Amino acid sequence: MLNILVYGAVTSAVYAMLAVGFTLIFGVARVLNLAHGAFYGLGAYSCYLLTGRLGWPLLPAALVAVLFVAAFGVAMERFLVRPLRHSALAVLMITIAVGLLFEQAMYLLFGSEARNVPAFSNATWSYAGLDVSGQRLLTLGFGIVIIGLLWLFINRTRLGSAILALSQDREGALYMGIPADRIYAVVMAISAAIAAAAGVLTAPFLTVQPTMDLLPMIKAFSIVIVGGLGSIPGSILAALLLGYSETIVAYAVSPAWTEIVSLVAVLLTLILRPAGLLGKRAAF
Amino acid sequence: MRSRPWIFVPLVLAALAALPVIVKSEYLLGILSVCFIYGIWAASWDFMSGLTGRENFGHALFIGAGAYTSAFLNARFALNPWWGLPAGAAMAVLLALVIGFPTLRLRGPYFALAMLAAATIMQRLTLIFWQYSGGEEGIPGLDPLLNSKIGIYYLCLAALVLTTAALLLLARSHGGLLLRGIRGDEAACQAAGIDVTFYKIAALVVSAACAGMGGVLYAHYQEAVTPDVFSVALSISIIIMVYVGGIGTIYGPAVGAILLALLPELLRGLGQYRLWAYSVVLIFILFFAPGGLVAPLWRRAVGLAR
Repeated sequence: MLNILVYGAVTSAVYAMLAVGFTLIFGVARVLNLAHGAFYGLGAYSCYLLTGRLGWPLLPAALVAVLFVAAFGVAMERFLVRPLRHSALAVLMITIAVGLLFEQAMYLLFGSEARNVPAFSNATWSYAGLDVSGQRLLTLGFGIVIIGLLWLFINRTRLGSAILALSQDREGALYMGIPADRIYAVVMAISAAIAAAAGVLTAPFLTVQPTMDLLPMIKAFSIVIVGGLGSIPGSILAALLLGYSETIVAYAVSPAWTEIVSLVAVLLTLILRPAGLLGKRAAF
Repeated sequence: MRSRPWIFVPLVLAALAALPVIVKSEYLLGILSVCFIYGIWAASWDFMSGLTGRENFGHALFIGAGAYTSAFLNARFALNPWWGLPAGAAMAVLLALVIGFPTLRLRGPYFALAMLAAATIMQRLTLIFWQYSGGEEGIPGLDPLLNSKIGIYYLCLAALVLTTAALLLLARSHGGLLLRGIRGDEAACQAAGIDVTFYKIAALVVSAACAGMGGVLYAHYQEAVTPDVFSVALSISIIIMVYVGGIGTIYGPAVGAILLALLPELLRGLGQYRLWAYSVVLIFILFFAPGGLVAPLWRRAVGLAR
């Protein structure tokens, strides 16, 4: 019981970190970023490169990795997405090309075998028959803090209001003199940084492989569809829902069936409530 | 030649049909057979997504469904591989209905995302339920559809020509016009009393059936299936082939697929960098030739001749 509670929370935190960035960039810039998984993978790989190959201590390596991925996201937005913004399909294709390039680049640079990234904490917590690694608890804690900070940033700062304004009414925001292109870059940086942070935090207990970007991204947009495209509270709620359902299915049935949970959730959502749990606009 | 550029089509087909008489290399014929199968996949992707503008990021779902269904029937129940063609197509159609019904009645990116998710999850499932699906190794030791490589070459060529011709006819028909209309302005089509959801799902079903049959051909050509038939890399390779060919033209993607599939084989050593090269090609096309390469060149040739 306690197992389900704690492991479900950790899974949900990771999913939420991925889904929030994905839904943010969609909600604000209308960019369906299929390179989002690449941000996550790039975070883990940069951390591996800095710690494993260059021998940096973990903390600066993690920070540099997150900043690097944020810069990568901004560069992608500026040079690849922005020139193609006139066509939604072209944007979709360019993001998928970036995802593919990431995978292939990691194959060429680091090979296909799994890599190790050191953990912030190697301690194991035992309580009432429950064993959790410190790194998982840290991931949970960081996830909550990061999402809390994002929440404060969007709701309490000027820049955050500009982001909200753009997501609610692009034209209206433009008339108010909000520099849309600059805001898109900021949002891309935030979204990439959160995904990279998730990559750095989970790398010690998940596998770091060139194909690691795909499944988390599938989970991220399953969550985003269930929660409602563009709704941050929705994606947090859906992350909890999916994280816990997967954990419960893993314990009650078999870990093999967890992959089906997100697909069933997506199809059910689209049949019953296409706008998602907290989606504002009807998707019809 | 100046007056009728279409004369090229039977000429090229005749050249392809005569190839096994001139070239005795089974290796080359095998490569071309796979290229033709890619052509079927690209043309069928284009029929749904190119015409209606609803991008399908998981075409591999239908390919894998066809391939695995046929492999199951052949390996577990020792069924004649020819039965795999209708069975594989039926399974692909079933999946198309399951995914298409909830997602295609909606606007927005739901269909694209659901297809990508479904294909990826199917690939994971083939690994997780390895007792039934053979896991990473897949299902080996399938019977080939025909015993001679030359026979398979002709089979794949015929399948490509027939599906492309059929899809072209459908695309030129009234229904195809409606599909293009949906791409142009879905709301206007709806307002004109057209059941857009029905047409989109019908197009997906046709596309899935062709892709599933292509998957069956592929499985029995390889005499094995592996989880790679569900891979995102395959889905995206097909989309890139369509882009190179010229989206929405059907014959363009078929030709583009053959060319792109042939490219890594011609440039030896490129095989390892295949996806890398494809994604660079895709970025190039998006920025510099949004209409693709094959179809615009063909149109220009036709236009000049006129």
